[in-house]
Amino acid sequence: MHFENPFGLAELIELGGSAAVVLLMIGVAAMLGFRMSARIDDGELARLAEAEGVRVDGAVIAKNGRTALARLSDGRVMVARVMGADVSARFAPANAINLDVKSRRLNATFADAGFPPLKMRLDDSPAWLNEFSSGGGSST
Amino acid sequence: MNAPEAPFAIPPIITYAVPAFVLLIIIEMIVVKLTKKGRYEYRDSATSLAMGFGNRVFGIAFGGLALLAYFWVYEYRLFNLGWTWPVMVACFFAEDLAYYWFHRIAHERRWFWASHIVHHTSQHYNLTTALRQTWTGTLGLNFIFWLPLVYIGFPPLMVLMFSSISLVYQFWIHTETIGRMGPFEWVMNTPSHHRVHHAINAKYLDANYAGVLIIWDRLFGTFVAEDDKEKPRYGVVSQLGTFNPFRVAFHEWLGIWRDVTHAKSLKEVMGYTFGPPGWSPDGSRKTSASIKAEWAKKQQTPPPEAVAAE
Repeated sequence: MHFENPFGLAELIELGGSAAVVLLMIGVAAMLGFRMSARIDDGELARLAEAEGVRVDGAVIAKNGRTALARLSDGRVMVARVMGADVSARFAPANAINLDVKSRRLNATFADAGFPPLKMRLDDSPAWLNEFSSGGGSST
Repeated sequence: MNAPEAPFAIPPIITYAVPAFVLLIIIEMIVVKLTKKGRYEYRDSATSLAMGFGNRVFGIAFGGLALLAYFWVYEYRLFNLGWTWPVMVACFFAEDLAYYWFHRIAHERRWFWASHIVHHTSQHYNLTTALRQTWTGTLGLNFIFWLPLVYIGFPPLMVLMFSSISLVYQFWIHTETIGRMGPFEWVMNTPSHHRVHHAINAKYLDANYAGVLIIWDRLFGTFVAEDDKEKPRYGVVSQLGTFNPFRVAFHEWLGIWRDVTHAKSLKEVMGYTFGPPGWSPDGSRKTSASIKAEWAKKQQTPPPEAVAAE
């Protein structure tokens, strides 16, 4: 069996041209002002929970409004993160999230590679959060 | 290999279409800016375009495998169909039907969904979303859905030509700037039909798998019309929390790996790999079917205030 390198000069020129065009289009999008950034607040968390058919029982929101973690009325946890102009939320049983709270820093890790670990600095650490991180759901 | 030669030089259709793609994307951005119809976000678009770029890199690296498979199967073809106009017309319909079944199964079986999910991960719906393509399509064996066509006897290059035409056609339907299109929608796949396909509203899940012709959805019972009262929400049921192209490309494959390595039986291994996306042995995770069933149940249950008034 003989394998040829599929990346010849023509392919490299094509890829170089494509990369330049990609950068051009991202530049145009940024220039046109498509750089919106959502912000998470209590209202947004309530809306996300309601869409899932539950209520928020308690929540911690990062100071910059970009990440949040909430305890839901059905015992699950909701983690939310700003994704550009949108907010991406994950709902999971507490024991499916690796939750770690140390020196007012929260670290939530999911098994799913599609939702990278969430890191937050906390002003205060509510009791329910400590419960989660000390066995009520955490595996740390 | 003795595939018949095409009677004309087949142009590199997708390569020729790229300048039009770029121009249309820039025009759409300006239209969205001026009319506020549709949405763009530059990090989301950057991810979509990076996925398109990576798709090309992986296509150059591994696309030859699909081509080899086509020509190998063609050696055992049932008929010598050759390049004639009636055969080309038949091939167009056959390719579009093959695309419908590929696309449907890519949503219904996790192995194929692991590649196809990439295309659905944007929470936006614009022309850059069309370019958010998988990197693992060939390695995930997506091409097997077109092998029956070359086995019947359609020349491999003819099948590839119509696949390219279908891909180019599907570009322009990824937009919110075009509304309904009247009688055109009876037969053709349109932006309205495809918005429904990309939507995660329970009502719209698992619908409109068409490539070029919407007739297949109408025929096989998967057609759902866009409802003006229910605006589509886009993305995947478990939205991604990242713009990182590598996470976007491989997260579902990693999910399969994680589940399979924790499986307790061969049945579980098969379920996690080839079952519907969201399948779990105890049914604790949500599948499209369970989400739709839950939604249908809610539709039948009168709201609490109506019950109280009775």
